[in-house]
Amino acid sequence: MGKDSHTITRRKFLKAATAGVALGLSSRLSFLEAREEYDLVAISGEPVAATRKALEAMGGISRFVKKEQRVVLKPNMSFSNTPDRGSTTHPLVVATVAEACLEAGAQQVLVLDHTLQRAELCLERNGIREACKGMNRVHVLALQEKKFFREIKIPQGKVLERVEVMKDLFDGSVLINLPVAKSHSATGVSLGIKGLMGLIWDRESFHTQYNINQALADLATVIKPHLTILDATRALASGGPGGPGEIKKPNFIIAGIDPVAVDSYGVSIVPWYGQNFKGKQVEHLLAAHQRGLGKIDIDQLKILKEKA
Amino acid sequence: MRKFLQTVSLLFFTALFVLATYKLPDWLPADIYLRLDPLLGLNAIFAARELIGRALWALMTIGATLIIGRFFCAYVCPMGVSIDFWDFLFLRKKKRLGLKAEASFRKVKYFSLIIFISAALTGLSLAFLMDPMSLLTRFYTFFIYPLVITLANLVLDLLRPLFQALGWVDLSHLHYPQPVYYMSAITLLIFGGIIALNLLAPRFWCRHLCPLGALLSLISPLGLFKRRVNEDCNECLKCQKACPMGAIPEDPKATRLPECIQCRTCAKVCPQEAITFPASLSLGGEYSRVDFSRRGFVYSLAGGLGIGFLATQTPFTLRQSKHQLIRPPGALPETEFLKTCIRCGECMKSCLTNTLQPCLWESGFSGLWTPKMELRLAPCDQNCNVCGKVCPTQAIRSLTLEEKTHAKAGTAVLRKEMCLVWAENKLCLICDEICPYNAIVFRPVEGYRRPVVIASKCNGCGFCEQRCPVRGESAIVVVPNGEIRLKEGSYIKETKKLQLEFKPDPGDDKFILEESGFDIEEKKKRGKGIIPEEKPQPKKPKGFL
Repeated sequence: MGKDSHTITRRKFLKAATAGVALGLSSRLSFLEAREEYDLVAISGEPVAATRKALEAMGGISRFVKKEQRVVLKPNMSFSNTPDRGSTTHPLVVATVAEACLEAGAQQVLVLDHTLQRAELCLERNGIREACKGMNRVHVLALQEKKFFREIKIPQGKVLERVEVMKDLFDGSVLINLPVAKSHSATGVSLGIKGLMGLIWDRESFHTQYNINQALADLATVIKPHLTILDATRALASGGPGGPGEIKKPNFIIAGIDPVAVDSYGVSIVPWYGQNFKGKQVEHLLAAHQRGLGKIDIDQLKILKEKA
Repeated sequence: MRKFLQTVSLLFFTALFVLATYKLPDWLPADIYLRLDPLLGLNAIFAARELIGRALWALMTIGATLIIGRFFCAYVCPMGVSIDFWDFLFLRKKKRLGLKAEASFRKVKYFSLIIFISAALTGLSLAFLMDPMSLLTRFYTFFIYPLVITLANLVLDLLRPLFQALGWVDLSHLHYPQPVYYMSAITLLIFGGIIALNLLAPRFWCRHLCPLGALLSLISPLGLFKRRVNEDCNECLKCQKACPMGAIPEDPKATRLPECIQCRTCAKVCPQEAITFPASLSLGGEYSRVDFSRRGFVYSLAGGLGIGFLATQTPFTLRQSKHQLIRPPGALPETEFLKTCIRCGECMKSCLTNTLQPCLWESGFSGLWTPKMELRLAPCDQNCNVCGKVCPTQAIRSLTLEEKTHAKAGTAVLRKEMCLVWAENKLCLICDEICPYNAIVFRPVEGYRRPVVIASKCNGCGFCEQRCPVRGESAIVVVPNGEIRLKEGSYIKETKKLQLEFKPDPGDDKFILEESGFDIEEKKKRGKGIIPEEKPQPKKPKGFL
């Protein structure tokens, strides 16, 4: 009897444990769900304060970054221009997010980009390396060699079948996209989804071989940032991506999980090339939306607008 | 002591070489060894018939030689150190073949000196062929530097798994951009040849060939310190055998003063300790005379003048304006440039983007190894002005960044028959996107947006040429047309006079709004609530529906 009851006890125990874990998981999820009141947050103010507040409003950085995790931050570091040119992410935004990740207990924070211009100059002049100086476990790197990339398949790809992506994105890293709001001569605007091109090896084929807008949507099906924080403290409203061009000062930090929604909102905040546009008028955003990657109609989004 | 000083000198030379990058601070003369070289200085001053400030540094070397003697060759010259070093590594124990006509070979260096100086007098810069500083800097630039980077990357690649395992993030992502240069192999052959000559006699190069050594030996007998042998000498001739310069004649008590580099090897090997180097004002009698014949002098003088005359009269040199050569911004006008440039390669080493490459015959014999911009390989970066900063003769003028931006190197020209947009109606705007000065705009032609270069805004930096996605030769190339090369004065003023403007002007980007013709869907989507901000309503920019 003792033996039988023991077996039954174990089974019971397992059942109970499974149920318990399931309950725990689901409750944790619902708890998170409950905290996520907004699809987007748009905080106006100075870069540091607005970024802090945006993170807070999104439920705190610890919602995205757990202890001992590796974090990849992807700002736009592509040009060897100073921050006032509006062609690269504001260094203080990057530093603030990096700091927050460290506070959340991140094991290391990699600030990565595959720059368009000479890497050493980019890192030196756009101020991001300087801003992250002195923070242990934060590494600002430009990866300009093929050996740092690995090829992956794009199952849902329409024009792209495969793409080489930075190896550092794999093995469970948290990806936080930190684009700057700017115009772009080939894609209209360059926000979060266009910024993903800085994580791949062969940027040129996007321009020469494929329809860049469709290729970007394909890319967005395989690289999915856990969080996008759009630096719209300045917006390069024309002359993008490198500038110089018309610099507007929306003074916004826009954050959200849905990459299409963040970008779509980003489109609406300033006139580009002197015209007002909506997200669905941007070809690559529309394509991403049509692939089910996010909401494009900002009127249907719950948005928190606040001052820092 | 000597080895220590030599090592210090070579390390100093190497350190300056390493520091010669776009980050070089203004106060640091990375070209100090080249400036101290009186042969390069004389050569440039004579050829250009112009006093060159940086070349006057060489007066220090001359002054020191007048006081001390020909110490430079034994203690300072990094070429001498290199020769000694490789000799020590490979040839130390080899039996030297020796040279029968030692005495007559010794004259060769004087002949080469006379040839170079007389050629310079006709306006032909030639000393770079054999000047040790120029030679060694070139060897470092074209061979050592790329090789070291290759090896460093190889080591990094091998250790990468280890770095990853240790979690050393910066090291595991480290990779140095690989520089490439034309003519690496030739440079290696020349340097290897100089070392190999040591098989015949130690420091063969220094005692027989080096024109800088020849120049210094002309004045070194005036120096204070001289070799003296006292009565203890038993004429064992050990010193004569050991002397790396062959400066001790049959009578071991005498010294060929021009040849003596005061290395004191003789004093070290003397079993009687009979050799000292005291200060003395007396001249060395018959052995202080420089050893070359009058006939040789006349021949080499005639040779130098002849070469100079012929070289400056070749069709190549005479038709300089017909060459498709893009010189670095700030380069003197071509004729002066060729006369002043000493081909040390320092500009090519320090060049941020690696666009500067040595010429072969593009501008004739007289242009050998001069720097040119190879813009298909890399552009000239607007944040860098190091080539002028490190130029020891200012053949490339040292300019501020803003002045450099205005030193127009050429003008981009679209080759419509190759351009994807013009020839194939494809969508491509890479040149426009990359141009730092908005000198490329799109204009509607035959229903398509086509790129056009605005010559007055192009300063020839070559970003477009480098980035053009056409295979092989670029569809947009920088040609020398419109280049501005001033001997003196401000480039900013000059460009103002010519009404050129290299300021990026966002205003011209309005052309992007012109009819593109690419967007077929546009008509269908029109009227979806676009609020035009200005009238007449412009068409949508690329990427918007």
